[in-house]
Amino acid sequence: MERIRKNLRIMLLAFEIEMRQNLTDGFVVFGILIQPLIVAFMALWMLKGKGPDYAIFVVVGSGMTGLWTTLLFNGGNSITGERWNGTLEPLVASPASLRIVVFGKVLANVAQSLGSMIGSYLLISLILGYPLTLERPVLFVISLFFTVAALVSFGLILASFFILIPDFARMVNTLEFPIYILCGFLFPIALLPGWTTPISYLLSPYWAAQALHGAAQGSLTTVQIMGDWALMLAFSLAYILASGRLYRVILRKARADATLDIMGN
Amino acid sequence: MDAIIVKNLRREFKSSEGIVKRKVKNVVAVEDVSFEIRQGELFGLLGPNGAGKTTSVKMLTTLLIPNGGSASILGMDVVKDANKLRAHIGFIFGGERGLYWRLSGLDNLRYFASLYYVDSQVAKKRIPELLELVGLNGRERERVEGYSRGMRQRLHIARALLHDPEVLFLDEPTMGLDPVGARELRTAVKNLQSANKTILLTTHYMFEADALCQRIAVINKGKIVALDTPGKLKENVQDLSVVEVEVYGIPPEYIEKLKRQDWVVEVSLENRDQVQVLQVHTPKGAEAVPVLVENLNGLRLGKIITREPTLEDAYVRLVGGTE
Amino acid sequence: MLNRILDNTRIFFEGAYYSYRALFRWLNPATYLASKVFAPLTMMIFFVYIGAYASGSNSASYYVIGNSLIFAASSGIFGVTMSVGGERWTGTLPYLFGSPANRGAMFVGRAVMHILDGMLGVFIGLGWGMLLFGLDLSRSDPLALIVTILITTFSTSGLGLLMGCLSLITRNVMLVNNTVYFALLVFSGANIPVEQLPGWMQVIANGLPLTRGVACTRMIVAGSSLTEIMPLLREEMLIGIILTILGYSLFKVFEFQAKKLGTLDIF
Repeated sequence: MERIRKNLRIMLLAFEIEMRQNLTDGFVVFGILIQPLIVAFMALWMLKGKGPDYAIFVVVGSGMTGLWTTLLFNGGNSITGERWNGTLEPLVASPASLRIVVFGKVLANVAQSLGSMIGSYLLISLILGYPLTLERPVLFVISLFFTVAALVSFGLILASFFILIPDFARMVNTLEFPIYILCGFLFPIALLPGWTTPISYLLSPYWAAQALHGAAQGSLTTVQIMGDWALMLAFSLAYILASGRLYRVILRKARADATLDIMGN
Repeated sequence: MDAIIVKNLRREFKSSEGIVKRKVKNVVAVEDVSFEIRQGELFGLLGPNGAGKTTSVKMLTTLLIPNGGSASILGMDVVKDANKLRAHIGFIFGGERGLYWRLSGLDNLRYFASLYYVDSQVAKKRIPELLELVGLNGRERERVEGYSRGMRQRLHIARALLHDPEVLFLDEPTMGLDPVGARELRTAVKNLQSANKTILLTTHYMFEADALCQRIAVINKGKIVALDTPGKLKENVQDLSVVEVEVYGIPPEYIEKLKRQDWVVEVSLENRDQVQVLQVHTPKGAEAVPVLVENLNGLRLGKIITREPTLEDAYVRLVGGTE
Repeated sequence: MLNRILDNTRIFFEGAYYSYRALFRWLNPATYLASKVFAPLTMMIFFVYIGAYASGSNSASYYVIGNSLIFAASSGIFGVTMSVGGERWTGTLPYLFGSPANRGAMFVGRAVMHILDGMLGVFIGLGWGMLLFGLDLSRSDPLALIVTILITTFSTSGLGLLMGCLSLITRNVMLVNNTVYFALLVFSGANIPVEQLPGWMQVIANGLPLTRGVACTRMIVAGSSLTEIMPLLREEMLIGIILTILGYSLFKVFEFQAKKLGTLDIF
């Protein structure tokens, strides 16, 4: 129990530190704020004819693109960022588990990105004067919690891939838009060729988008939304469990290959 | 009882050259290192840059996995029991990195205290004490990015002591400190040792090792070339005297020729301000002076003195003088 | 005099080649494929499908053409800006400025590589369009197409040069970069017809590079000839030239400022 409390404290400190470091980083601001807003703007124009509640669809969908992009580029670099800073070695050498630190950092990134979703909501409703009502607000908020859990736990896995797979950072651009596409952020996946559907089902952001869009537009029943929650929960647990083994592997590899520090050799 | 046991440690690094045709080179940083350190001992690891000191310490602090050999600290293997071991050891690598620059010194310490599972009540008391010890009290709320190099070094030291580890690894701890700060640190290190902490200190300052350490291992090119108390190391060179000659630019051929003389055991060259000082280790002592001057015919010479060997000279003998 | 010219030419090509290599390390084929061929495709697919959702499935060509030309913008902006900003990143900017080499030759040289790269990107985009979305280029005049792409890539490189200058006075290059790139998505007519934008945005759109290039390409695919699109191409070219000159002059001004304020070494 004591240990759990102490680990929680570590996670919160990591969260706080990451928050503070990000607020001064320009590129982070871009991913969190500007890109989703531009995507939102474009989608608003392109989807104008879709009916009265399409505006909230755009806000939620573009918010999700922001969440994913932030997770990919900022959350994913949780470990590699420490390495660049020279603090990965002290972190690894401490008794605390690296997973807890990464969890805190990714949580900070996702939380900030969530803030941008709220920001674009306000921007679009206040400045452009669109009506933005959430049909099922309570379900929406709960869905957000599950979304955060699913994304952050995936972030754990993602951060380790940056270490495990050489040159992963260079390939990471290719993962940005495919998730937007396959997870139905700004258009239903029914438009895509049928063979991609199973792939969509394997992606936790798909279920998150389902739940969030469904709650915002009232297009899904409560049972259906709760089904999405169950799936997101399952994914979260699976990721967290898998990360245990994964982190043991990457840390051993990094210590064997002398890659804990960029000047390792 | 031995706190640290090191047996035949070995560590290689791969470095690759070229972009189209990659050539992978294997560099052996630590070839074969063995030693034992008793509990409560202040042990020195002395060697030139690139000798393998930092690599050895990284293996002992669980940051690198050895390619060969084994090591255990307080009975725990550095590879198999790494997780358990981490709570019991502290270390400093120093330098500019390894700290969160956008945070204050205090926040850095608080964070690492939590990472080492230091009880928050204990941390509340200990952090101010450590700040006082390293001389940072009053500056702890400033951001690390505004600290001087010396201040960062001090913060590193405070961090290493947060969890009151039984074993400490200090990798060139006085690097970057001004002379006063360095002296204060050395006093602090001595105090730590009298608190029965086991300390491994690496340095390339001979006088530091001499002043602080109970035993010194000299490491060069990844191998231990000597391991003894400072006194005994000095004894090994007692048979020799050192003749120092001030020269103003000495071509390498002269040095080569001198090395080949049978009355010359070792030659080293030191740069001091405007001159270079040629140091010739010879059993002949002052009698060697005329022959030496003859060998340096054609060069402009300055002061010539003959003196007793120091630990520095023992070191030079062990690692080679003119690199 | 001849020596001067030869020297500058050499600097021009050397600079281009080495900076390209140093900053992009494209010699890894996997990375090249991922970033130049696959990643832009994914963005294209994204907008095509939004378009399909919006207006039914037959509008794919519209989005394909526009987004292919966005690939040109990618090289032009990121490539050129990184050439300058990247130097700051790797800390080599002070060394470069310390050298007596002709600034014009150096930086325009860098732009050339990116123009070629950009053109390649557009062709790849159009290729994907034909393969995946049934883009029909049968009525297109090949010469007109190539000229349009060349000029458009050139003009976006000009914008890139201008953006690159900003890197001399600010650390947040990538922020500016990405914002401009995404803004081009909005203003260029690639995804939203320019006529549908509010009045003040149309003014901006017409002042930016890429807008006319996109319009021309659409016209070419519909069967227009080179002469018909010439007026628009001329304007696009003009924008490119103005941006390049502006970029170069600003570059010299900022270099001076950076040296004066001592911000060259700040990373």
